[in-house]
Amino acid sequence: MKKTISGTFLRWLLLIVGVAFAVSMVFSWSLQTRLSKKSAVNLLRLNIADVRQDVIDASDANLLNLTRTIASEIDGGAPSDVAGLSVLMTRHDVAEINVINTDGIIISTTHPDFLEYDMRTGRQSAEFLGLLDGTETEHVQSYQPISYDSSLLRKYAGVCLKDGGFVQVAYDADRFQRDIDHQIIGVTRNRHVGENGCIIIAGENWNIVSDRNHNEGKNLYATGIWIDRPTMPEGEVFISEVYGETCSCMYVFTEGYYIIAALPENEILLQRDTSVLLTAGLEVLVFLALFAVIFLLVHKLVVNNINRVNSSLSKITDGDLEEKVDVRSNTEFASLSDDINATVSTLKQYISAAAARIDQELAFAKNIQQSALPSVFPPYPDRKDFSLFAAMDTAKEVGGDFYDFYFLDENRLAFLVADVSGKGIPAAMFMMTGKTVLRDYAERGDAPADVARFANEKLCEGNDAEMFITSWMGFLETDTGLVRFINAGHNAPVLIRNGHAEFIKQKVNLALAAMDGVPYREQSLQLMPGDLLYLYTDGVTEAENASEELFGNARLLSVLSGPSGKGEAACRNVCARVKTALKAFTGDAAQFDDITMLCLYYAGTEADEAFADNVPAPDRESAENVIGPDNSEAETVTAPADSASDTVTVPASAEHLAEVIAFVEAKLNGFGCSERIKQQITVAAEEIFVNIAHYAYGDAAGNASVSVRLEQGDAVLTFRDRGTPFNPLEKDDPDITLGADERPIGGLGIFMVKKSMDEVRYERDKDENVLTIRKRL
Amino acid sequence: MTIQKTIQNQTLTVMPEGRLDTITAPQLESELRSSLGGITELIFDLDKLVYISSAGLRVLLSAQKTMNKQGSMVLLNVRPEIMEILEITGFADILTIR
Repeated sequence: MKKTISGTFLRWLLLIVGVAFAVSMVFSWSLQTRLSKKSAVNLLRLNIADVRQDVIDASDANLLNLTRTIASEIDGGAPSDVAGLSVLMTRHDVAEINVINTDGIIISTTHPDFLEYDMRTGRQSAEFLGLLDGTETEHVQSYQPISYDSSLLRKYAGVCLKDGGFVQVAYDADRFQRDIDHQIIGVTRNRHVGENGCIIIAGENWNIVSDRNHNEGKNLYATGIWIDRPTMPEGEVFISEVYGETCSCMYVFTEGYYIIAALPENEILLQRDTSVLLTAGLEVLVFLALFAVIFLLVHKLVVNNINRVNSSLSKITDGDLEEKVDVRSNTEFASLSDDINATVSTLKQYISAAAARIDQELAFAKNIQQSALPSVFPPYPDRKDFSLFAAMDTAKEVGGDFYDFYFLDENRLAFLVADVSGKGIPAAMFMMTGKTVLRDYAERGDAPADVARFANEKLCEGNDAEMFITSWMGFLETDTGLVRFINAGHNAPVLIRNGHAEFIKQKVNLALAAMDGVPYREQSLQLMPGDLLYLYTDGVTEAENASEELFGNARLLSVLSGPSGKGEAACRNVCARVKTALKAFTGDAAQFDDITMLCLYYAGTEADEAFADNVPAPDRESAENVIGPDNSEAETVTAPADSASDTVTVPASAEHLAEVIAFVEAKLNGFGCSERIKQQITVAAEEIFVNIAHYAYGDAAGNASVSVRLEQGDAVLTFRDRGTPFNPLEKDDPDITLGADERPIGGLGIFMVKKSMDEVRYERDKDENVLTIRKRL
Repeated sequence: MTIQKTIQNQTLTVMPEGRLDTITAPQLESELRSSLGGITELIFDLDKLVYISSAGLRVLLSAQKTMNKQGSMVLLNVRPEIMEILEITGFADILTIR
């Protein structure tokens, strides 16, 4: 299957969109995962910071209250010596009370080791110095290692004393927690981390202090959380099971509490998944829209335009050179359209130039062709014994029809019409050849059948185009009105006698150049003075009218019937009548075939009488080949002798030679001729009979007859057969001057006959070959 | 027609008797074809030949052509009526007649 542009485009577009989608999804997935994690961390931090602040606030407030109370008791006169401070420590249940003088030196303390400790010497203790220089009146610290002993974790608060210096109170985580646990419990109650996350607060000893799930008092690991402080830094996310759910967790340790925030992974991922799905959905929509838009654009801008160009091109290919390609929706196609139109228009110019040249050449050809046909009428103005007119209307510039006429000698006129198969230049060229060949043979003096036969042979040579010529050719003996003719596949001419028109009855032979070696049969027609002979081509009878009817034979006869007048006027009249009738019949229909006609008017002696130009007609000269000294005295061959005894008929086969020879010898003996003459005649009879036996019928069987008569002291032998028309006299004589080696074997027989007889002549009589020999006894 | 043949050394003498025509010529032709091998001189004694047609002339011509290659051929005792035919056909010029 061939790929279409839109199909290919569709596949690539799908692939690219698919890849883009996948890449963006991976990108979006990883981005969203990171964002979700980050936001989870922030959420955890935020919650922890909140809770931590709550715890610190509660712790600071508690310790400050205690410190203020102790400070006011000291200010109120409570003893501040070591014993007094111990009483206060016990009463307020604190871990330590120190009194610091204005110099920053611990002057009294519940912890003997701290006495005389200079507050300035430690980082943690130095923070309290602000109470001495008046910048603050109270200071509270977070739960942390003390400067003096970093293994000791305490929370300190200091409040200025009325008499200068300040009192510093500290307590341990235990005491602190006792005081604030109840406050801490409430801190996590209504606190959510995200949707389902939670805050758990546990003491230094892992006992849970505050938990939404009411696990207070239990150990932290009951929730599933395990904190290993050296490996798990504060404020960092770690993953842990919390109440059976995988959570991202974070902790800080502050004021002796572990504050742990947990956010279920599901919730974090849900957020990510939601984002990714949302992105995917949006992308699908965007890509679909993009896909549709691009596809439609390609279709509209490329495929549709190509289809339009193609449809115009196919019209042009089908021959419509007027078609214009007009696709102007974009520059590229407009340019393509212009180029195609320019190409077609150039092509059109070339074609019309070529057509003009061809037209011109056809016109030249027509001129040559027309000038090859006799066109001056009357052609023989001084001949009164016949008149002739011919006309040719070609359907195209040049056609295959032709007519011709010429004198073979003073009293024999050859005339013919012919139609070459096909039309145009090839037909015209073949027509010229045909015309020339026919004339050559006719002027050589051959009988019509021979002219046809030789012309046929000639035209068959190298007739690769397989054209053929139908022709009707007649030789008119102007003095007798006898027309001897052949018909090579042509329409039967019309004889108009006393205004009555009818087709000549005849046998039709094969068209010329159709097949090699075909025999042509000479036929004859006796014209009477006043007769008109009308020859035509099938352009006449096959002319069509608009409703596709043919002119036909009946219409032709009816047009030709009736009085036509005399002489050339009659000929012109007949042709004009046919033309008029044809025009009336065909109307506006285009002339399809050449229309050629020739009309012969025979005046004969009628003319002689009419013009009192009475030159005695010469003796009828036969058209046969006549050889020998008796030429001028030759007479028309008469029919075979009636007497059965004059004639013997035998199968034309050499086996019957003896019968023929015996018959001839017997007859000659009866004439009382000499042995020498008898032998010559016998030899001649043998040669002729053997010739007939060999050639007349080919492989078929047939008879030959021989008649022997005595005429005016001459022995006359006539040989007849109904075989292939063949004139043995036309054979070239052998060259008797050649030596034995050069001399061909054969061709001698007829030569001997010609040599030894006084007269030999051949004629074709109807369907018979007739050979007559005469020998003076 | 009858044909007499005599072979002496390499000389073949042929004596046809009667008519040498279309019918009988092939007979003479086949006689010659089977006898001419190795012959250097062929003699036709035509004393008894009364008739010859072109078929007979062809046989003579064919024999002459063969003998031109391997020896000689001569015609003896040619009757006037036969001679006349040989003359009008030009055969008198190419055959050796004694």
